[in-house]
Amino acid sequence: MPATARPENPYASLDAQIEQLKKCQPLPESDVKALCDKARDILINESNVQPVKCPVTVCGDIHGQFQDLLELFRIGGNSPETNYLFMGDYVDRGYHSVETVSLLVALKVRYRERITILRGNHESRQITQVYGFYDECLRKYGNANVWKLFTDLFDYLPLTALIENQVFCLHGGLSPTLDTLDHIRALDRVQEVPHEGPMCDLLWSDPDDRCGWGISPRGAGYTFGQDISEQFNHNNGLGLIARAHQLVMDGYNWTHEQNAVTVFSAPNYCYRCGNMAAIMEVDEQMNKSFLQFEPAPRRGEPEVTRRTPDYFL
Amino acid sequence: MQPRDDGWGDQRDKKLPLEPTRAPWARDGPNHLDVRPTNLSASSQMDAGSSAPSAAISHHHRERGYMTGQPVNLAVAAEASLPAPVAPAATGGDSFRAPEKRIHNQVELDRFLRSATAKEFVGFIGALNDAVNGRSSTEECSMSEPILALVDVLKKMREWVDEIPPQQQSLRYGNPAYRTWFARVAESAEELIRSVLPPNLQSAAVELGPYLVDSLGNSTRIDYGTGHETTFCALLCCLAKLGVLTKPDLQAVVTRVFLQYIELMRKVQLTYWLEPAGSHGVWGLDDYQFLPFLWGSAQLIDHPYIRPASIHSREVLETCSEDYMYLACVRFVKQVKKGPLAETSPMLNDISGVPTWSKVNSGMMKMYQVEVLSKVPIMQHFLFGSLLNFS
Repeated sequence: MPATARPENPYASLDAQIEQLKKCQPLPESDVKALCDKARDILINESNVQPVKCPVTVCGDIHGQFQDLLELFRIGGNSPETNYLFMGDYVDRGYHSVETVSLLVALKVRYRERITILRGNHESRQITQVYGFYDECLRKYGNANVWKLFTDLFDYLPLTALIENQVFCLHGGLSPTLDTLDHIRALDRVQEVPHEGPMCDLLWSDPDDRCGWGISPRGAGYTFGQDISEQFNHNNGLGLIARAHQLVMDGYNWTHEQNAVTVFSAPNYCYRCGNMAAIMEVDEQMNKSFLQFEPAPRRGEPEVTRRTPDYFL
Repeated sequence: MQPRDDGWGDQRDKKLPLEPTRAPWARDGPNHLDVRPTNLSASSQMDAGSSAPSAAISHHHRERGYMTGQPVNLAVAAEASLPAPVAPAATGGDSFRAPEKRIHNQVELDRFLRSATAKEFVGFIGALNDAVNGRSSTEECSMSEPILALVDVLKKMREWVDEIPPQQQSLRYGNPAYRTWFARVAESAEELIRSVLPPNLQSAAVELGPYLVDSLGNSTRIDYGTGHETTFCALLCCLAKLGVLTKPDLQAVVTRVFLQYIELMRKVQLTYWLEPAGSHGVWGLDDYQFLPFLWGSAQLIDHPYIRPASIHSREVLETCSEDYMYLACVRFVKQVKKGPLAETSPMLNDISGVPTWSKVNSGMMKMYQVEVLSKVPIMQHFLFGSLLNFS
């Protein structure tokens, strides 16, 4: 090798995988396994309240809308040039959950300091078997191995993040059993999302117009009022709770008198809802601004092979 | 922390809605989640209640994939037939009662699926399926008094949608005006039902009214799904048990009454932006409906030129949707979902590759039994009373 040659890129194969994924081509199962192994080693060292530095761009639900994730990167800037914080729900409902979660995990492995990926209520074995990711893996890989690899990895995703000790980010919302960030830090998170309890609440709760705690119509987590958000922010010296989990027509929605904000990043959700998507940029001075976007233009029909569902055999 | 006092009691009494992402383990009833004081420790939280501990679900694996290559059997085998009419004595007086939910877990659901009531319900769905085999939606059929009355009830509810426009500004998806419409229907439900019932059966309205209300979606969450549609079918089944609907009515039950119901619900979905309840997104058959695909595929059995693959023909959809519910459903999906069908509805695309409508139809029956009747999150809302009893 000539002395002037650049050293070989140790990330060559990972970079190639990222390029392949950006073309919306799923990785082979063996690559997914290697990727999940590496990602687990990274995530296991992250905190339940993972510290994040500004500037950073905060994103909500993606739900397998891969083309729209690429649009998000066009609008918000590419990774790693822009730092990203994703608040969960990468999979289910959309057609490209496999490609979406593979790309985000690959970016995490490649640029661990530049991208934070939290757990949403859909990053769960039980939910993905109901809402589509399981079915999608069967269709794209012919078996459930890749579903197993990813759902095993999901157990390691951090539950919440904290931007510069000021903006508290998580998928769902607060829990009546968690008054402080230290309570959250003390949770043993490496497990399937439980049906109830503090870890479940963080991923399932919603803010509500009424005060206090309420029974969630979702059947998991709680609803929490403005008084709860104010108290939590006050107790923990926070300025804002940023969360995702709910479809909002403008892509973002301030609530609880600016104590909380909902960010939803899947435009025209499920191909039909007509909503805008948004991301929240937090700059070096901790100023927040929102970028809205519409569904990405599609290029032609996807390559789809028809298969016969078991019922019709 | 003081629990707030507004509206909790009602919330608890109302059904747990089938929301877009609802917890599959969510339960109804008095033992449902209660508010916990903030000082309750995490570990005691986890032990509270009787739902499966997380360890038990961590290795949970669905037994039935949808593309395993293994044929699926019917969950409930039942002859297509009208339900046995209730004994005349039982229809005389005060035996009718407000129906209630009885399925809270898999054990109770399994018990239901083995029951005579389930056989009767599935047999009724089969009888309706047979009644429209090869028959178009526009074909002349006998229109009895109760059929005409049911169509009128559905039309009236449609007019109310026109009278209650959506609120202009809404940050969340579902429009709150839906609750106003829903409340008006709920208020009038028994009266509406009485207009369908003969004089000697007026007292059955107390039992049938809640079926009508529950078939229109959920007003707390502003959503709608296949469980609500199933409840409408249960209302029809109750009317058959009472002898109000009889064998000569069956074709019109599907092509007049049920079609009118579907059109009402589409109008409601579009006007108030109802969220699809428990939707599997692109991976389910449809965001909102199931039965029009079942009965709609029966209508097309042995059709001279429309094949399952014909759903890809715009011309067929344009010209034949009024005649065939299945095509109307696909047309509706194409209207509301932006994007190629293969991506927005892979299941419909897959089914278009099935060679015959009779295969599509038998598959739909199996799929309905597995994906709707065998799901606790859906069937926990099913109503049981004196007519459809939980035996």
